[in-house]
Amino acid sequence: MSGRDYFIKRTVLVVTTIFVVIVINFFLFRIMPANPVDILISPTQGQEKMGIEIKEALMKDLGLDRPLYIQFIIYLKDVLQLNLGYSFRAPRPVIQIIAERLVNTLVLMFTGNVISILMAVSLGVIAAWKRGSKTDLGSLISALTLTSMPMFWVGGIMLLIFSVRLDLFPMFGVTKIGYSHPNFLSYLGDYLHHLFLPMITMALVSFGGLFLIMRNSLMDVFSEDYILTAKAIGLSERTIIFKNALQNAMLPLVTIIAIRIGFMFSGSLLTETVFSWPGLGYTIYQRDYPILQGTFLIITILVVISSFVAELIYGYIDPRIRTGASSG
Amino acid sequence: MAGTKTALYKRRIRDFILQYKESKLGIVGLFILVFFIFVATFANNLSDHSIKPTGGILKDRFKPPSSKYILGTDDVGRDIATLIMYGGRISLLIGFLAAIISGGIGTIVGLTAGYFGGWKEDLLMRITDIVLVIPGLPLMLVLASLLGSNFWNIIFVISVIGWTGTARVVRAQVLSLKERAFIESSKAIGASDLRIIGYHLLPNVFPLIVAQMILGVGGAILSEAALSFLGLGDPSSVSWGMILHWAFAVGSLSSNYWWFIIPPGICITLVSLGFTFVGFALDQIVNPRIRRR
Repeated sequence: MSGRDYFIKRTVLVVTTIFVVIVINFFLFRIMPANPVDILISPTQGQEKMGIEIKEALMKDLGLDRPLYIQFIIYLKDVLQLNLGYSFRAPRPVIQIIAERLVNTLVLMFTGNVISILMAVSLGVIAAWKRGSKTDLGSLISALTLTSMPMFWVGGIMLLIFSVRLDLFPMFGVTKIGYSHPNFLSYLGDYLHHLFLPMITMALVSFGGLFLIMRNSLMDVFSEDYILTAKAIGLSERTIIFKNALQNAMLPLVTIIAIRIGFMFSGSLLTETVFSWPGLGYTIYQRDYPILQGTFLIITILVVISSFVAELIYGYIDPRIRTGASSG
Repeated sequence: MAGTKTALYKRRIRDFILQYKESKLGIVGLFILVFFIFVATFANNLSDHSIKPTGGILKDRFKPPSSKYILGTDDVGRDIATLIMYGGRISLLIGFLAAIISGGIGTIVGLTAGYFGGWKEDLLMRITDIVLVIPGLPLMLVLASLLGSNFWNIIFVISVIGWTGTARVVRAQVLSLKERAFIESSKAIGASDLRIIGYHLLPNVFPLIVAQMILGVGGAILSEAALSFLGLGDPSSVSWGMILHWAFAVGSLSSNYWWFIIPPGICITLVSLGFTFVGFALDQIVNPRIRRR
């Protein structure tokens, strides 16, 4: 397949995936046995209290009294303008709440995964180079164990050890509540202090999967002819690993990130919930349906676009694909 | 004829056991799983405590581990060890059922795409691509919160996103089998598509499917735990995830009720590790792509 066909195919995938999610959001909300209006009015208030007039007014407010296809056109237009409706909890636009919280999610995801990637690459190189050694086996088993742990539970254990037992880190939030910081440095220190545990948790839950894929693709790289040649002409291990192999390992790394980006979001959502880190995961826990839907859409858009970008980068740095593109 | 056929199967099974024995991880995994399945099956014989609160709640709640309550008690005075034994039933059951259903969907998609090719393959593989790229947890949350949290809905929600791996593996295997002589010759003598799929392709891809399903059980158990933790589990069925949900919800973390939090998580970890080990060992034997390396 030529580079251009490939590009077109991926673009189509990006657009259809986002469209599918919009359709899921639209129809799920409308065809479910539980009427959205019933969801909106919390059960504790008692539905008998809500008169039929209020119910009808709400249906009208949400546009649910019009034909389905018109609803869909309106919905599509709204989504394209990033108008995702209003929160059920507070009278604020969904997109505004998501935008505020997205920053915290991205900070947690980025820092945690950078640590994770550094660990996965360095241990992956050692493990793949010395296949079957104690380091290999040890990191393989720890990676498998880490991927088998419930992510939120890992966070809980971190809190139990480092906050409750050792009292080293705060248990929740991004900064101390009700404390005004004299300057930016003090604020930053407090923020990092709060970030540390969730970040390490994020790194741990990401590490397993990253390491396993890294080890596998490095084993492929290390068994290729040019590495064997380098060994045969007597280059030192250090030169081979750092000059030749690592450069080639960057390729799988880009693919891995493209594959794992959705997983990274899931990990972040669960970690945030445990640490009451006010990111997108925190909004999910509040059972606010429009927010949940909006979060689903925004995360999907971010995931498809970033894996698309990762594939473009891959195509750019992989000489094989690049020549394919210029000849095709 | 029949005699040689059983002899052949016997030899195959013997070969398989010999190969499996070589994998240390596979043996360890098998032991873990046998242990947990045994405990879950005989939970009512192994414990004399009940999983229903039995009065004296205020006196017996949040008791640390003791000789009476090996793993302590929860917020309503129930024995946590007993809760975990019964919880294993639900977690394992959800894991197995979700893995079987998603394995079934994956097999149908993979076989159809691989065998028929053409527009059917294009359509099915594009759908697979889309499901693969949609972030799993948010989709499960949206589905679960609208469908409602009961036992079968949770299994459905987990299966909806879990079938893509099997579909890809099965399709790849069918594509390579299709080129082999015995498929060509059965086509030549006029065998129907259904017969070729049922008699020739399915038996050949079956071991691969089983390996994929076993690898999937651990993932399904983890997904159920995550859903329960986020408050979308079935409150009427006690699973390990549900126990953890209660533990977090009553503030066991800040109160340092570690016995309420650590044991259920260890069980989830060990069981899903067990399935991963066994699945890896099987995959090593039955997956031609891995074997070649």
